[in-house]
Amino acid sequence: MNPLIDVQDLTLSIPTGHIFQGSKNILHDISFQIQAGGSTAYLGANGAGKTSTFRVLCGLIKKDKGKVFFDGKEMLNGLPPKRFGFMPEQPYFYKNLSPLELLTGLGKLSGIHASTLKKNIYTWAERLNFVSVLNQRLSTCSKGQVQRVGLAQALIHQPDFILLDEPLSGLDPIGRSYVRNVIQDEIKRGATVLFSSHILSDAEAICNQVVILKDGHNVFSGDIKQLLSSKHRWLIKVEWPILPTMLTSDSVDIHSHMDGTSDIRGASLEIRNTLIQQILADPRATLLAVEAEQRTLEQAFVDFLQVKVDKS
Amino acid sequence: MNPIFEIARMTFADAIRNKIFYGAFAFLIILFFTAAALASVTMGRTELMISDLGLGAVSILGNLMAVIITIQSLQQERESRALYVLITRLQQRWKYLAGKLIGLSAVLGLQVIFMCAILALCIAFFGQIYWQSFFQACIATIFEIWIVIAVALLFSQTSSLFLAILLTLSVDIAGRFTFTIRQLGEQSDNPALQLITQAMYYLLPNLESVNLRNQAGYIPSYEWSEFIQILSYSCSEIFLIFALCCIIFNRKNLA
Repeated sequence: MNPLIDVQDLTLSIPTGHIFQGSKNILHDISFQIQAGGSTAYLGANGAGKTSTFRVLCGLIKKDKGKVFFDGKEMLNGLPPKRFGFMPEQPYFYKNLSPLELLTGLGKLSGIHASTLKKNIYTWAERLNFVSVLNQRLSTCSKGQVQRVGLAQALIHQPDFILLDEPLSGLDPIGRSYVRNVIQDEIKRGATVLFSSHILSDAEAICNQVVILKDGHNVFSGDIKQLLSSKHRWLIKVEWPILPTMLTSDSVDIHSHMDGTSDIRGASLEIRNTLIQQILADPRATLLAVEAEQRTLEQAFVDFLQVKVDKS
Repeated sequence: MNPIFEIARMTFADAIRNKIFYGAFAFLIILFFTAAALASVTMGRTELMISDLGLGAVSILGNLMAVIITIQSLQQERESRALYVLITRLQQRWKYLAGKLIGLSAVLGLQVIFMCAILALCIAFFGQIYWQSFFQACIATIFEIWIVIAVALLFSQTSSLFLAILLTLSVDIAGRFTFTIRQLGEQSDNPALQLITQAMYYLLPNLESVNLRNQAGYIPSYEWSEFIQILSYSCSEIFLIFALCCIIFNRKNLA
């Protein structure tokens, strides 16, 4: 089956702003595929190149090299406008327009017929909980409300592909849950979602595929289950008055409690086995539990960011 | 609906609510009262003084508004990321610029019409008004402002906010002295200076040729053929500047 989005060797450089320094490479041969009907989290630290990738996909920035295919067709100037919806990071739009005026204008630009547009706007305003500010100027709306208006404009024309740049940033927990639910509903509708986020617990709840960027390099691209199970983690609960020096290594995480017990987490099975032997051999130590732990997306993400990228 | 007119409609709705307009109207009202006060101490033909001062003020204010509103609107749209959601909905980028040009031209045209209407009432109150020449001068002023909008649109694509304002104002001022610049070159023996002044004469929009304000209070009407010629020149200037603007915008990375 052809992927909905196929990005091949995407390379991008931007001018540094200094005449004598030329340009700086921000994306290096990025390749990933997105299958139709799922949700993909596009992750990376600040400055990794997430927003730049989105802007290339939208046709806002011209790439230096590489190809972008949408539904099997190569896209030279961004994705087809009628088939995708884009929400930029922290938009604040026209401050003198109301959400109703903005969504009416953008809905018409997306080709929605006037007879259904108003109904659509009210439906989205109810789903994303901003009906109360629908006729208020955007300058008087809160950051979270504007963020939800931004999401509504991306979804109002029911696109096949939805591109969301940090859709959860600036939202309170209730707002985040509205947005999460809406994204999940859109996936159920059959839409494909690609989003970036720094709130990894939410990303983990929504996505089924993950792409991780580091300094413009693609360090992981694939199924989230594959990512989380690629390194099994373990947890040892122990009562050990003096922890051995080998536990100060970077390969384990130690969390000591007030009651004298400690939680030791790690990934290496070799270290786990050595540790269990040491605990059993030490009369002062009491082994309380040994458990297998699945990595969270956050742990996996941190692990990937520690990987050295071969920039050559 | 045509996407150009939809963008124009949104631009108009946003720009018309800009608070900068209130300040402009307050300034204009103060100016009219000042003119009226001055008129009371002048010897006869009060309406001529009000006409000259008033039309001059409308032009200066209109030009300043055109520069500030256009550049501010484009910059804000880029910073607020409204530009991204508009561009991603369009098949061709130039439609965005066309929408902006039409929307901003409509706002500033309406502003000039409003100011001229107040001015006309003021002149009619103090004495005789030549309606036809006054009308022609107002229309020419609107076209002059539209040229300035196109120039502002061009510079806002190529430079930062402050630099774009500075460059547009420079062209606005230099555009009123193109004949003088050319004459200066002709009087010089330096061929390089002659070349530069010739280039400036042909490159800069000739805003003085669009100025019909000086005679508005003195003659009943301008020749309609001359008037049409002025409007045609303005339209071709706007078209050329807009075309250049589209070429730049099409190649530009919207980062």
